[in-house]
Amino acid sequence: MVTPRALEHEFETQDLMINMGPQHPSTHGVFRMVLTIDGEVVRDVVPYVGYMHRGAEKLCETMDYRQGIGYMDRTEYLANFNAELSYVMAVEKLLDIDVPERAQWIRMILCELNRISSHFMFTGAFGTDVGVFGTAFTYSFIQREIVQDLFEEITGDRLMYAYFRPGGLAWEVTDNFVARVHEVLADMRQGVIDIDGLLTHNEIFVARTKGVGYISGQDAIDYGMSGPALRASGVDLDIRKAEPYLYYDQIDFDVPLGEHGDVYDRFVLRVEEIRQSIRIVEQCIERLQPGPIQPERMPRMLRTPPGEVYIRTEAPRGEYGIYLVSKGGNRPYRLKIRSACLSNLQALKHMTVGQYVADAVIVLGSIDIVLCEVDR
Amino acid sequence: MRGIAKSMLTTLSAFTRRPVTREYPERHRPIPERDRAFPILLWDQGIDEPFCTGCHACERACPVECMTVLMKDNPRHTSQGGNSSRRKIIDKFWIDYGRCMRCNICVEVCNFDAIAMNNTWQGHELSVYDRSDLVMDLPQLLSQHRQGNLKEWVAE
Amino acid sequence: MNYDLFGLELNVWVDALIRVLLIVGFMTVSVMGLIYIERKILARFQRRLGPTRTGPMGLLQSLADALKLIGKEDLRPKSADPWTFEFAPYVVFIPVFLGFVIVPFLFGWQVRVIELGLLYFVATSSVNIVGWVMAGWGSDNRYAMIGGMRAAAQGISYELPLVLALLAVAMIASSLNLQEIVSAQGRVPFVVWQPLAFFIFFVAALAEMNRPPFDIPIGESEVVGGPFVEYSGFRWSVFFLAEYAALFILSAIGAAVFLGGWAWPLGEELGRGWQLILMSAKTGMLIFLVFWVRASVPRLRIDQLMGYSWKVLLPLALAQVLVNGAVLVYDWPKQVLLVTGVMGLLALFWVTERAVRQPRTRPAMTIAQSEAAS
Repeated sequence: MVTPRALEHEFETQDLMINMGPQHPSTHGVFRMVLTIDGEVVRDVVPYVGYMHRGAEKLCETMDYRQGIGYMDRTEYLANFNAELSYVMAVEKLLDIDVPERAQWIRMILCELNRISSHFMFTGAFGTDVGVFGTAFTYSFIQREIVQDLFEEITGDRLMYAYFRPGGLAWEVTDNFVARVHEVLADMRQGVIDIDGLLTHNEIFVARTKGVGYISGQDAIDYGMSGPALRASGVDLDIRKAEPYLYYDQIDFDVPLGEHGDVYDRFVLRVEEIRQSIRIVEQCIERLQPGPIQPERMPRMLRTPPGEVYIRTEAPRGEYGIYLVSKGGNRPYRLKIRSACLSNLQALKHMTVGQYVADAVIVLGSIDIVLCEVDR
Repeated sequence: MRGIAKSMLTTLSAFTRRPVTREYPERHRPIPERDRAFPILLWDQGIDEPFCTGCHACERACPVECMTVLMKDNPRHTSQGGNSSRRKIIDKFWIDYGRCMRCNICVEVCNFDAIAMNNTWQGHELSVYDRSDLVMDLPQLLSQHRQGNLKEWVAE
Repeated sequence: MNYDLFGLELNVWVDALIRVLLIVGFMTVSVMGLIYIERKILARFQRRLGPTRTGPMGLLQSLADALKLIGKEDLRPKSADPWTFEFAPYVVFIPVFLGFVIVPFLFGWQVRVIELGLLYFVATSSVNIVGWVMAGWGSDNRYAMIGGMRAAAQGISYELPLVLALLAVAMIASSLNLQEIVSAQGRVPFVVWQPLAFFIFFVAALAEMNRPPFDIPIGESEVVGGPFVEYSGFRWSVFFLAEYAALFILSAIGAAVFLGGWAWPLGEELGRGWQLILMSAKTGMLIFLVFWVRASVPRLRIDQLMGYSWKVLLPLALAQVLVNGAVLVYDWPKQVLLVTGVMGLLALFWVTERAVRQPRTRPAMTIAQSEAAS
């Protein structure tokens, strides 16, 4: 810990600027931050985003509603189902159609499984940031692969599922879906035990993460943070509880909250969310009934009435919102994605300044950014 | 120290468990029948011609515009003395696999069930040295199903 | 003057040359073996397979890597300091290389039996810090510079507990000659009498070798390789060679000094072949432990690393030296050493756990402070 005494310069010193990224192993993609450091203490952070900008929003405006689904996958490649869900829900709201019950339950199961796999991705990448040489990463990825295998059996693709459709699902799930989900959940429980045992109580891990990257609840709200990063600061805001969509109001689950708003809380909270998601999936599986997965008489080409709609859902990284304006016709007039990562990233400077260089890395990791979602 | 001991026991228990990796090029993971690789055209084994009539439905629906379709009169149509009921048939068909985003929309819009997503390993292992080699023409698109390599799975 | 090597009477220069070649050959082979073993073991800890392609079970992987590294272009940044940059790898490598001289493989099997062996080892092994700083400074890269500074701070801090831990043992054995230290242990190795010193030695050795959790200078996720960031090809492989050779030497010395070397604790005296196997097994155990730790723990932060050395390890190592001195002077029974050692170890664990449980600290600076300062 650098005391104020040490900060009173006795010799003339110069701050050093180091450029982290866009090619740096721990910037989670093509993110660049310029750190101004005084010895090992970070004085200033200037983040640069936009390296991954592909204009997904504008592209969606040039194509019809079904074609846009694939692009939603590509904005949020770790929680594709959650991204697709926001989009199809926005279209459904514009069209004012009811989704069959079975389709909704399956959507919930898939979204929660995707949350699990996304949080596992976080624990793995975060473990690497903290410096566990690959072990946390492989343990997490083993679990993530298991979930992806299930998704591949259902949707046909391991990453870009394009499975949700306005009105329901693209096709029926596999016959052994329920049994497979139970298998996957059993593996997930083992995975949580592994990650928990490897990191959560490890003294070095605790020493590295506790008290680092502190942000108060009020500051987090002011920065527009959402999701686990916000809840770690003790703010009880989970859209699944606050504005239940799908059937989250019929399901019994807890929203874990942090107390200290530091990196350690963000990690522990995500591990706890994995457990809660397992609970949700278990309940959903029990309520799954046979039935249709698409409403009757869906038009072949979707044409929406004029109007505008904002839908927000609780993606693993926070509030994933879709703002959709239609002027009639088969394509959106304007589509805006409210990305949780971009808002959470705003607080990077607040959390990093005054920490050590090594902490800047884990603070960035604890926000759990997906650069495709930040830049879109 | 107890936490570190717990971490080390966790890794030790992993040490005794079976590795999960596969030696990929030698051993392939079995892929499910719904697996989506890249779109290919199907071959009507009964009449010995493609199902595709070149109706441009997939070309119009493709979000990334990776397809080029040209149709022609079917020389084997019954009016020409053949045994096919297709008046028009596909003449030339190119799909740029480098552009395709594998969204499955072409399969969904096809009225003739003439296009499907490849669900074999050959459909995935497509590395080439030149991007232009990824532009598949009609014989290449048809060869997979013509040789009967596909696993059966037809999306609704 | 003639020297004696395996009973042969040789000219001094020929003798020296043979010994140097022996070290170099042994070092290269053992390092390549170690790298292969580490990759395999680490892979199993992570539920992977490790290298499998090159040769049967991937046995030739290290050889392939070595050939690749030698074949690569030796790049030097235009703005780098040529002399510092190019000589840094050798300044890191040679002290480690010198350390081989005193590794006691068997009774009488040492490159050179030196009366002040431990002192010689301690003196040579710390010189490589200079090389790290040279590499960091000469590369003209900010990541490298941060890494070099970290290496210097870490190397100096952990040299002291390492030396004191070895000193404690040397006091009990009343010798600095490694042969005599091993012989002095008899049936009961020093790890029983000096558990605290062994723990301190192990932790400090991890830090000396820049192994996780003390791989702060290299820190891939922070400074992307630290001082190595600009090196490539052969020069980079020399750094690597030094790192793994240091791992082997420190493990071998740990096995000799703390685990009883070639002595078999049960039953009768063993033949020389068995003794060699026993010594290798003990060294291997320590090396395995290093790999195991690497797979299990995150990296410490630089201030925590320094704090742990100066506030925890150093006082306890000093206390151990004092206790040993008292035992020697007043001729107390050996059991005192055991009791105090275990108590010291428990105290160390308690201090470590307490440090973690401390109330959460606020950042070193707030934004306002930072803005005011700059």
